[in-house]
Amino acid sequence: MKFHRETEMELIALAADRSIFLEGNLIRLVESEYTDFQTYLKSALDNDKEKRKQRLEVTKQVQTQNKDLEKKAKENDRLMSELKEALEAAEVAKQRIENDLDVLQRRTQFELIGNIVQIALWVIVGVGVVVTLMYFFAMYSGSSEKTLIGNTWSNLFGILLTNSFSIIGTIMGVKYASEQKDQK
Amino acid sequence: MINSILLVDDENLFHLVFEDACSLLDITLSLQSVSSADEAEKLFKAWATNPSTRPECVFVDLNIIGSTFDGIELIRRINTMYGNGVVIGIISSSADQDEIGKAALVGAQFWIVKSDDIEPRLERFREDYSKYADKTQSFTVYK
Repeated sequence: MKFHRETEMELIALAADRSIFLEGNLIRLVESEYTDFQTYLKSALDNDKEKRKQRLEVTKQVQTQNKDLEKKAKENDRLMSELKEALEAAEVAKQRIENDLDVLQRRTQFELIGNIVQIALWVIVGVGVVVTLMYFFAMYSGSSEKTLIGNTWSNLFGILLTNSFSIIGTIMGVKYASEQKDQK
Repeated sequence: MINSILLVDDENLFHLVFEDACSLLDITLSLQSVSSADEAEKLFKAWATNPSTRPECVFVDLNIIGSTFDGIELIRRINTMYGNGVVIGIISSSADQDEIGKAALVGAQFWIVKSDDIEPRLERFREDYSKYADKTQSFTVYK
């Protein structure tokens, strides 16, 4: 490809005045029979090569940085995933501990209630036995207070039985309520 | 110098690297770049009827993200469905021996390993190019 001589002169002047040269692969296709324009083409080609070299270096740097960023993003995703898994595991462990604690508290409560009931029943049985023995003693010793002790024994026994059933009923109620809560 | 080259690669930054490297090494003055295997196949379909603008040499990436098939499949299709004798090969950051074997089987003529320093490999390829064009060069891996 050849330019008109006037165009060649204008291009040479442009390069001299403002350092603006032809760029790109087009330079390699242009020919001239004039030495001044041949020199111009050589300078333009050298400029173009220098610019391409710089651009190539910058592009390679950007490419490397992009690859690093991609690697770091992947690493970040992996860490986030691990963190999420660890959080889930911690949540499960926390739930298990809370359940264990709840069971432990309930067991302690039941044990306490059991002890109270046991003591209460022993007291009731003890009082019943003592009063019954007193009644038998009064009957066999021919005491004049036999009728009074009989009525008292009857009343007391009634009260003791009522209280026993009341305690047992309360315990059964608490146990039933706890089971319902667990099922929920 | 190679008359015209087609580059098929999903990485647009590599288009710039390849263009500058080709220009600096005087490999070609005419380079067309596309980002997907589907796009490349469309071009080859068009060139089957009008081969005037068909490239002389094709560089294909192995894993072309965003395409419905990979580089090896593209080479197979070009060689079997649009067989027009272009010099064709893979340019990839991978150097997996299995993939290299597969590429050779489907008719790839070369495998260039993409790295930060691609120029020396392209220079060696340029020196061997005439042998690729007349089909006397055996499959070569440029590492």
